[in-house]
Amino acid sequence: MNILPLFILIPIGAAFALSTFDILKQERKKVLVSNITAAAACLALTVLAVMQIGKTGTFEMGGWSIPIGISLVLDGFSAPVLVITGLVSLMCAVFSFSYMDMYSGREKFFSLFLLMVAGMNGLVLTSDIFNLYVFMELAAVSSFALVAYGTMKEELEAAFKYLVLSGVGTVFILMGIALTYGHTRNLSMVFIYNALSSGSAGSGMYLAAGFFMVGFGIKAALIPFHAWLPDAHPAAPAPVSAMLSGVLIKTAGIYAMVRVLFLLFAADLSVASMLLRTLGVLSLMIGVLLALGQWDFKRLLAYHSVSQMGYIALAFGIGTPLGIAAGLFHLLNHSVFKSLLFLNAGAVFYRTSTRDLRDMGGLNAVMPVTGYTSMIASLSIAGLPPFNGFWSKLLIIIAAIQAGYLWLGLWAVLGSILTLASFAKVQRYAFVGEIKDKFKEIKEVPLPMAFSMIFLAVLCVLMGILLVPGIRAVVLDGAAEVLLNPSNYIRIATGGMP
Amino acid sequence: MIELILFFKIIAAIIAIESKNLLSAIVSLGAVGFALAIIMVFLNAPDVAIVQVLVEVVLLVILVRATLHRDLTDLKGKREFFVKVFGIVAVGAFFLGIAWGLISLPVFGSFPETAVSVAVPSEWYLAHGLRQTGISNIVTAVLLDYRAYDTLGEVTVLFSAILGAVVILRKKR
Amino acid sequence: MNNMPLAYGLAMILFAVGLYGVVCKKNAVKIIISLLIMENAVNLFILLIGYRKDGIAPVMVKGQEASEFASMAVDPLAQAIVITSIVIGLSIVALMIAIAIRLYDRYKTFDTSKMKDLKG
Repeated sequence: MNILPLFILIPIGAAFALSTFDILKQERKKVLVSNITAAAACLALTVLAVMQIGKTGTFEMGGWSIPIGISLVLDGFSAPVLVITGLVSLMCAVFSFSYMDMYSGREKFFSLFLLMVAGMNGLVLTSDIFNLYVFMELAAVSSFALVAYGTMKEELEAAFKYLVLSGVGTVFILMGIALTYGHTRNLSMVFIYNALSSGSAGSGMYLAAGFFMVGFGIKAALIPFHAWLPDAHPAAPAPVSAMLSGVLIKTAGIYAMVRVLFLLFAADLSVASMLLRTLGVLSLMIGVLLALGQWDFKRLLAYHSVSQMGYIALAFGIGTPLGIAAGLFHLLNHSVFKSLLFLNAGAVFYRTSTRDLRDMGGLNAVMPVTGYTSMIASLSIAGLPPFNGFWSKLLIIIAAIQAGYLWLGLWAVLGSILTLASFAKVQRYAFVGEIKDKFKEIKEVPLPMAFSMIFLAVLCVLMGILLVPGIRAVVLDGAAEVLLNPSNYIRIATGGMP
Repeated sequence: MIELILFFKIIAAIIAIESKNLLSAIVSLGAVGFALAIIMVFLNAPDVAIVQVLVEVVLLVILVRATLHRDLTDLKGKREFFVKVFGIVAVGAFFLGIAWGLISLPVFGSFPETAVSVAVPSEWYLAHGLRQTGISNIVTAVLLDYRAYDTLGEVTVLFSAILGAVVILRKKR
Repeated sequence: MNNMPLAYGLAMILFAVGLYGVVCKKNAVKIIISLLIMENAVNLFILLIGYRKDGIAPVMVKGQEASEFASMAVDPLAQAIVITSIVIGLSIVALMIAIAIRLYDRYKTFDTSKMKDLKG
């Protein structure tokens, strides 16, 4: 039996079920049932996704084959992204058990949370650009509501800014879809590729690509379209920030952008890769420079998200098989350590009620789990061995130099050094040193929060093994095959027939 | 005819954006939306026109309800100079791109002609829709059968937005 | 012979008007209105692409030949995706209005330039 539709049906079904739990009268029961449902759904998604690693497959929705209907396609690029989405959402759901105690309406929170997961899974799996748009909006709309979840001034303002910019991005993407449709009269990616490779479509497709670039650039928060991210990600509740920075900007931004651009420009990738590299280097440097001056813990992390997205865009822009593998690897790694860092910031906020680094200090003494996991994550994002961030950055730099972009490699090294400086500051002010008197009484965070942080920290240490040749061939190299050679993608999408 | 209504629509849009009073801006927005519905009728899209009228009415009611009893005047103060310059430059650059990009589109009114040779699913829908789905309205056939998965996503987005609005407007934190 | 530049171009002008409003206006309601105008323009553009000159609506009437119908009707797929995108646009704008109402409760104004709790 084909299980691909389950990736969308499980979270949507669980979300619909959760929204009916309002009939439970006792608040405690409601919270307990919501927790169990959400965690079970995320766990099921993770297990299913792990089972799909290295496999390919397709599922025709409603039995209509493309281009008449819509089909889901699992390939070497979507499978790892599905796994990381499931894993991070599971950890964030577990973290929310305790963290969301400071907010009301648990069942509505998890309902929106699962709708966001459903949207991301849907857009990762689909092979139809309009369907991609629909599921991207599902993920975006639920994330708007989650950012504004606290309904205080800061949250609302950030959510409004996010909504306006993301709305503009949406309209641009839709315009790109309209132009693509006008040229090819098709919405299925396979047939768009067939149409474009059969004859020259001319200037209109460049215009469409421009619209896609701006739209997905806004969704991925690449500089100069990043303005919403440093507001929206800090304002959201910590597990939501971790989801947004960890997976949403990657699936709705980079993943969709790479999918569509590599498809539209399959004949000649040079322009698209050049743009990706330029945006990548800009985001990488400006993001880290802006992060250096921040004192708000979560805001600093948000600027680092911009910077790390730059690394990923840069790696995909290199356009060699090694570069794409490196980009995918860094995407997976960044999901793990950035969500861990946001959870750390949430844990600190949970106990101390502050996000200002200058107010903290010496928290290692009272919150050892938070302190040491954040240490691992900081070393990981700064790219020190033996943590996962080191391996992926090394791979990116090797790929850049191999492809002849010496300067890109240098920029990547420089960005990495600045990242290290920035996180040395975080460790120095927040976790190491003399503890302040007012924080001497606080305790370590509750078990669910500690569990998800430890789990992600262990992943940070272990993910280097993805580079072992046998594993790498299964997990990372599949992406380059489908991206650089669309005929492979078409073979998978049409069910194995050549 | 379509172009005439479009001119009118653009003027209404400019009034909606530039008028000093929020309520008249919202009324002008209504004119934009209903003009679109009329154009849709001219473009032989009755189903879409019905949906557009419905959505426009709902939106206008929500917008009027949201702004009524609130601060109705538009804001006078100058937006930062460079923002305005950036806006005008962006719009100008946008137009150059558009003018260049639209050249290769198939000419207006020439469906199902394409710029490239490929199978066109719409022709399939028109030719086999009634036989395969039993629905004489092909738009409905596409929405509810061929691309029902899109409609599932659409309904879920609507559900998500309503849930989000409930969450945002709730009293407790 | 064809009126393509005019119809497509006017839709794009509408899009640009909305874009100008989103970038340059600072009243929250005006920003919402501008975004709606942009969505309007895109929906119109998709329908224009699917238009057939002297065509008929894609609804079959009794006694019509399928082949004759297929050679005359306008694009049903374009209309279907416009319906979907109209509803999605409605969802986004409804959420925006909810947030704008809440912002007004907190700040007593729709002026986004007075909402300066966020730095940078």
